Amino acid sequence: MATAQQRGGTLTVGLGYDIDTLNVYSTGFLGDVQAAVVEGLVAPDAKANYVPVLATQVPSVRNGGIKVAADGKTMTVTYRLRPGVKWSDGQPLTSADVKFTWEAVKNPKFIAESKDGTEDIASIETPNATTVVVNYKRVAPDFMSTLFTFGILPKHTLEGKDLNTDSYNEKPLGTGPFRVKEFRRGQYVILERNPYYWRKDSKGVQLPYLDGMIFKIIPDSNTLVTQLRTGEVQLAYSIPYSQVKQIDGVPGLRIVKNNVLSWQHLDFNLKTVDAFKDPNVRKAFAYAINKSAVSKALGGYPNPINSVVVPVFSYANAAVPRYDYNLTRAKQLLDAAGWKPGPDGIRVKDGKRMSFKIMAQAGRSTDEDAQQVIIASLKQAGIELQPDNKSGVAFRDARYKGNYDLFYGGWITSADPTYSVFFGSKGVNNGQGYSNPRIDTLLTRAESTLDPAQRTAALREFQSALMADLPSIPITTNPSMIAVTEKLGGFVPNPTNMTNFVNTSGWYLK
Amino acid sequence: MNAAHLLKRLLGTLPLLLGVSLLLFGVLHLAPGGPLDVYADNPSVSPEALAQMRVAFGLDQPLPVQYVSWVTAFFTGEWGYSIRTARPVSQEILERLGPTLILGGTSFVLSLLIALPLGIVSAVRRYSGVDYLITFLSFLGVSMPVFWLALMLQLLFAVQWRVLPSAGIQTIGSDSVLDLLHHLILPAFILAFASVAGWSRYMRSSMVEVLGQDYVRTARAKGLTAGKVVYRHALRNALIPIITVVALDFATILSGAVITETIFAWPGIGRLFIESMNGRDYPVLMALMMAGSFALVISNLLADLAYAAVDPRIRYE
Repeated sequence: MATAQQRGGTLTVGLGYDIDTLNVYSTGFLGDVQAAVVEGLVAPDAKANYVPVLATQVPSVRNGGIKVAADGKTMTVTYRLRPGVKWSDGQPLTSADVKFTWEAVKNPKFIAESKDGTEDIASIETPNATTVVVNYKRVAPDFMSTLFTFGILPKHTLEGKDLNTDSYNEKPLGTGPFRVKEFRRGQYVILERNPYYWRKDSKGVQLPYLDGMIFKIIPDSNTLVTQLRTGEVQLAYSIPYSQVKQIDGVPGLRIVKNNVLSWQHLDFNLKTVDAFKDPNVRKAFAYAINKSAVSKALGGYPNPINSVVVPVFSYANAAVPRYDYNLTRAKQLLDAAGWKPGPDGIRVKDGKRMSFKIMAQAGRSTDEDAQQVIIASLKQAGIELQPDNKSGVAFRDARYKGNYDLFYGGWITSADPTYSVFFGSKGVNNGQGYSNPRIDTLLTRAESTLDPAQRTAALREFQSALMADLPSIPITTNPSMIAVTEKLGGFVPNPTNMTNFVNTSGWYLK
Repeated sequence: MNAAHLLKRLLGTLPLLLGVSLLLFGVLHLAPGGPLDVYADNPSVSPEALAQMRVAFGLDQPLPVQYVSWVTAFFTGEWGYSIRTARPVSQEILERLGPTLILGGTSFVLSLLIALPLGIVSAVRRYSGVDYLITFLSFLGVSMPVFWLALMLQLLFAVQWRVLPSAGIQTIGSDSVLDLLHHLILPAFILAFASVAGWSRYMRSSMVEVLGQDYVRTARAKGLTAGKVVYRHALRNALIPIITVVALDFATILSGAVITETIFAWPGIGRLFIESMNGRDYPVLMALMMAGSFALVISNLLADLAYAAVDPRIRYE
């Protein structure tokens, strides 16, 4: 806990990307700066559990916040807003702002990247200033990982404005601990204390403790590390694994490991590559990949995993079919599948060499290093892989359309991931063309029930079925390494896609 | 060169620029992916939202239609909106132009001031110790990767000695010129280093050639001092080939220095280009590349003018 003397000071944070807009609903990145300025009704905490922010409690069936209709097809979510909350311009936050947020984001004229969840809502009622009743068109257990969790928009300054071009995108108005003082594109964002912030600490001291925060934009990771060493930057995340040890030795800095909700995986293209349609071939790949070697090549920080559901989640299934590194088994499976070693050691079947292209994101050194280990691993089993790396939009395009043989990459999810987008037959991120009716059924069941026991059962079964089928080999879960000054107190990393800056009010400088 | 000729030259660039624009537009749109793929990267984006955006940006139109509407808009000064930030392209570019001109301009002047004397000294004292030293340094400059040199100098000046800032254009909150100059030293020097290396080699070989000419020998035979021979008689002619090289490099100032700007977190055009490229932000990319092409055309024109100024024998009719 901070003392009165520890109030004040400015924290300088280094960001490795160029901010496009400060509007949480239309940025192409996860909103780091935005999270310190704009608040939602609820937010995930350090353990990826939702906690109340602008709402007084997290709605659930048990506390009466969620009511499912008698026919079981729709639901109603009621939020009670915290009384006395003000926007950083002094105006009060009311239920009308929440309703406005839904209308503004849903508006077809607003070009937003995050409209998820708006279509599920049929109507919103605001019986009084602190009550919001949201009527859903379906039972949507994932309602918290969208819309009102990202942030609430101020009706009194945005009503009738064009959100695509409004100055809100440079200077968002929020209820968070800080407000934007200055945003210079390509350079920095200066945040200052929000004098109207609602939260006080346990001793009744007005939060936030910090006077302000500065987010400096430094695209080159080597320069970011240099700035940490000179003290020009006091906090930076996603430090390259190769530089963690170097930073750990710098006096005044410490390294914090954040077990983000991410998993790295090797995907098979099931649409166009005939060889991968044989499950035994896919299994042979899994047996031939030495996951510990992958981890070791990345400084030992990643943890090998056996399921696409990372161990953080309570419904992670430890009893899924496993494919521990076993070269002999891999070779046996390939032999049995008709792929026999050819003259150059690479396997051949019906005159076709077992040679594929493996795509990863160019320039992402962690992924490229892992890719090299995988290539070397599979070579041992007589499989030839050639790197085919792409960058930026070309990479994404190939991933969505499935223009690859094999794809190595990672996903980071919200506290409440929707796995059907990756593995459902119609999943928007399913570029590999995977389709399995049983998986679809299980995911639909998991994603349309509010009963935790049923949801857990369906998700556990989904993992087992997926690992038995093996369209994608889970490899490791990669933590994000954060370098932070020893002077910063109250800092707790956040593993979700809401970023580390989702709760900055309790941070203080010693 | 008279005004009519200048006008003719300028008008002649129009079809050239139009052809360049068609080529750039085609190449850009042939590259895989589109601007909306950036949005699709987020698992929570819906296909409906993407469809709305496609219509809003006119990306649903056939390519020829998109091209024609782009050309007409561009030549009326309407450069459109950035898909990435939703701000006017002209504003986006203007904001980044200042830092790029400061960095590029400084390093350009610095390069000229260092490269020309170095080249001359090298040529005049051919095969001496000084010549070998300069030759060695310029090979070092040409072959040393910019990012490596930048990292080393950052480590030395910012981490070890703490005399210079490692990155950025200014101390946050400070708008003083002195602070800007302080931040300018490292990136400008590094950017100049490679140019100096190249230009001084050109200067040297050009000078060596001129010094072997008959008229220089005549001047020497008449008993002129070495200084007069070199600076009055030889230098003017030796400069002519250099102008071409320098003028073409001049155009690149406007395009920004991608690597240097990225390493030093310098908010210039080079970085804007990379970000726009990674996001396939067509309006910004087209505007940047057209501006770059225009700068190249203008630099060529300037080089021709400079030729005439330096060498009175060259006349444009």
